[in-house]
Amino acid sequence: MVANTTQLPEGANRVKDTPPCRAPRVLLAKIGLDGHDRGVKVLARSFRDAGIEVIYTGLWQTCEATMHAALQEDVDVVGVSLLSAAHMTVMPELLRLRKELGIEQIPLVLGGIVPEADKPALEKMGIAAVFNPGSAVDDIVDEIKRLADTHKLADAVQLKEGYKKRDVRALAKLVTALQQGQDLDGWQPPKGKAKILGVTGAPGVGKSSFIGKLGAVLRERGKRVAVVAIDPSSPLTGGALLGDRLRMMGGKPDEGFFVRSLSSGGSAGGLAPQTPDVIRVLDGFGFDVILVETVGAGQSDVGIRELVDETVLLLMPDSGDSVQFSKAGIMEIASCFVLNKCDLSGADATEAQLISAVGEGRPLWKVSTIRNEGLDAVADWVAAR
Amino acid sequence: MSVKPTANPKDDASKASEPKPFVGPEDLGGFDPAKALGEPGSFPYTRGPHRTMYRDRLWTMRQFAGFGSADDTNKRFKYLLDHGQTGLSTAFDLPTLMGRDSDDPLALGEVGRCGVAIASLADMRRLFDGIDLGSVSTSMTINAPAAILLAFYAAVGQEQGVPLEKLRGTLQNDILKEFHAQNEYVFPPVPSVKLVVDTIEFCTKHMPQWNTVSVSGYHIREAGATAAEELAFTLADGIAYTEESIERGLDVDDFAPRLSFFFDVHNDFFEEIAKLRAARRIWAHVMRDRFKAKNERSRLLRTHCQTAGVSLTEQQPMNNLVRVAYQAMAGVLGGTQSLHTNSMDETLALPSEKAAKLALRTQQILAYETNVTQTVDPLAGSYFVEKLTNEIEAKAYAIFDQIDAMGGVLKAIDRGYFRRCIAESAQAEQKQIDAGEKKVVGVTDFVENGPPEIDILQITQDTENEQVARMKALKASRDKTRHENALRDLRETARRGDNVMPALIQAAKADATVGEMMETMKGVFGAYDGGPEW
Repeated sequence: MVANTTQLPEGANRVKDTPPCRAPRVLLAKIGLDGHDRGVKVLARSFRDAGIEVIYTGLWQTCEATMHAALQEDVDVVGVSLLSAAHMTVMPELLRLRKELGIEQIPLVLGGIVPEADKPALEKMGIAAVFNPGSAVDDIVDEIKRLADTHKLADAVQLKEGYKKRDVRALAKLVTALQQGQDLDGWQPPKGKAKILGVTGAPGVGKSSFIGKLGAVLRERGKRVAVVAIDPSSPLTGGALLGDRLRMMGGKPDEGFFVRSLSSGGSAGGLAPQTPDVIRVLDGFGFDVILVETVGAGQSDVGIRELVDETVLLLMPDSGDSVQFSKAGIMEIASCFVLNKCDLSGADATEAQLISAVGEGRPLWKVSTIRNEGLDAVADWVAAR
Repeated sequence: MSVKPTANPKDDASKASEPKPFVGPEDLGGFDPAKALGEPGSFPYTRGPHRTMYRDRLWTMRQFAGFGSADDTNKRFKYLLDHGQTGLSTAFDLPTLMGRDSDDPLALGEVGRCGVAIASLADMRRLFDGIDLGSVSTSMTINAPAAILLAFYAAVGQEQGVPLEKLRGTLQNDILKEFHAQNEYVFPPVPSVKLVVDTIEFCTKHMPQWNTVSVSGYHIREAGATAAEELAFTLADGIAYTEESIERGLDVDDFAPRLSFFFDVHNDFFEEIAKLRAARRIWAHVMRDRFKAKNERSRLLRTHCQTAGVSLTEQQPMNNLVRVAYQAMAGVLGGTQSLHTNSMDETLALPSEKAAKLALRTQQILAYETNVTQTVDPLAGSYFVEKLTNEIEAKAYAIFDQIDAMGGVLKAIDRGYFRRCIAESAQAEQKQIDAGEKKVVGVTDFVENGPPEIDILQITQDTENEQVARMKALKASRDKTRHENALRDLRETARRGDNVMPALIQAAKADATVGEMMETMKGVFGAYDGGPEW
């Protein structure tokens, strides 16, 4: 019964043949210190199951970082979950930032504990919808999809102009245009001089946290950094949970640190079909370093090699996976190794194991992203490439 | 056909295949209550930790309260004490819970909203103004900065002339469930547990009447876990604290009697009763067999219960009174030692005074009018309740096996195990509701339109502005040298890996704030990013 629907055509073809049917992109955010994330997590998974690409930015975000993320990700809707009763303080601030950043076309919706008496005021200030505990998930999905539909494709000429002027909004929208296969009249971005590094490794080794921390160190050294973070999408619905970004959300938003989450779109090799185009556009925009994080799929991840200058393989202590890796092709193509989570026990033993498996020809660093240790050495290596 | 207890931990009783219309002796699979149960107050305590239970001593009616400034909550405390409440329970605001000062940028809009803002010794002093700490017992729901709040409380007690050994109360201090469910963690798991053990060690030596950890399933359940997961994860956390404390060199019988538990009481009436009975039986065996505890009090699982906030609905909020009443009865029939009944307006806002009073009255009616207090464990021997008790116990042991196979709770956190289980269970329940398989009165069925007709408590922005002004004044007026020395001492103590409690008490007295002490320790312990699963 489902055989035909699960059979996806090659990603690139599908995108070009059917331009505007890409999955709606929704950013889900929790702002402030409120840790109640049951609702937002249920919704994130339900959205994915309903064919939506969800970018979740995680706990403890500021208003500013949230709206910058919405800009960079060029989402169709921003959904904010607040159970802290701070909505009458937070929502006006988000609307103010939305205007300041020039992304007023993105609808803003709110979910959480919102007294009935506050709803008219929220609607009046420009919140597109308010959902409460007990709102049916299907109704929320329908409303999100309806709002996402109002988010139109940008004009190609304007995009190219904006891109030339280094307008981040135009960059974000160009990436969207590429994802959607929008006709750009054969436009090609200029060739840049970015160093392109692939970052790969098994699920759970901390690729996103590592990229976030390495990015911060490179920023301190004045480098402009772009990140392409790829997560798998559901072959059944086309929806996806894009959760990499939440490890990369620093305190202050920063124009020189551009993060874009992509879904793999059902393609093999851990890469999204438009990844090469997206990398070219980022390169041409003038970033110094582009970090490409791939689906942590292990063996099948060798596809990354074609696109990048160097491949960084992340491992962690005490994981049977590290030994497994020695059999996998990824071990051979790695330019260097990062043993992350060295705050955990077993780091030295895993290091010794690794050296005996791969020899000493390629660099190996011990890093703890939690303790901010070991990242400078990696950054030195990046700078020297 | 004997039915063996199922051992699949994901198979929640409430989702089990079509339940039998009635249960008989054949469903107990050879379990003979007459032989295996034992009496109340005797090992394995399935029937209750005490022989006479509520006949001699009612459960403690402990309503969680806290909002606005320390002065606002101080008034609410006095109001509750005047209306017959027998213990204080403090809810802190989010900035305090996260170990941040009221003037921290991330605290914007959240000061005093969900609880009381306590960022310094001065705030704690005002919170208990006119309340004798020698004669009340105080529960503090605080985790990542628990050691700091304990230091504030100890310092206020000393100022009132109450010696440390006379202070009575409970610190929630259960950081592990923050990693699983509630997300109020700050440091990585290993140093977080070290801090918990610091408080256990300090209290064992200096504050013997203090309940050091309230190992909590409540938040795990509220985040979406099934009853079996709640039971198993909570007891697994209790096991982890016990192991770490023994590792520190403490004798299990010196600290285990001061560990207590905190469970949710949800809607599935008999399942909740079974859960509490099974919890006592498992803990008794764990303490006797795994930890060789000899003191009877180490083997007794004493628990607080709270009705399920997550079961309350915004729609037709008066219905919540009825839900809470049934849940409260399940907690009492399950043999809880203390109880919080939720207010009907909690899905809308913080409880109003009227709603908080009705919640307390619900307990009083249960205690004084229904007569359920007269017979200990009245459901013992019920085929159904014994079967449920055995089943949930078996599921918990199966989950323990999974956790042990991963190398224990801390390793399972590293793998995102708890978060993944909880998120999957939460989504499964939502799907049941969406599919019409699980009814919610007033939400999925028997729906009425129109806004809820109850008054709710409003916290003004003034609270935040005043608190921020107080913070700034404190920071400007304190003795700078003393303050700097105290924080330096704290940093060095943490670096050496010594117990930080004495240094925290000194820092509290030097007017160091919660945020400053947390930042100092973050510099040594690091900050946690949430682990692999979100």
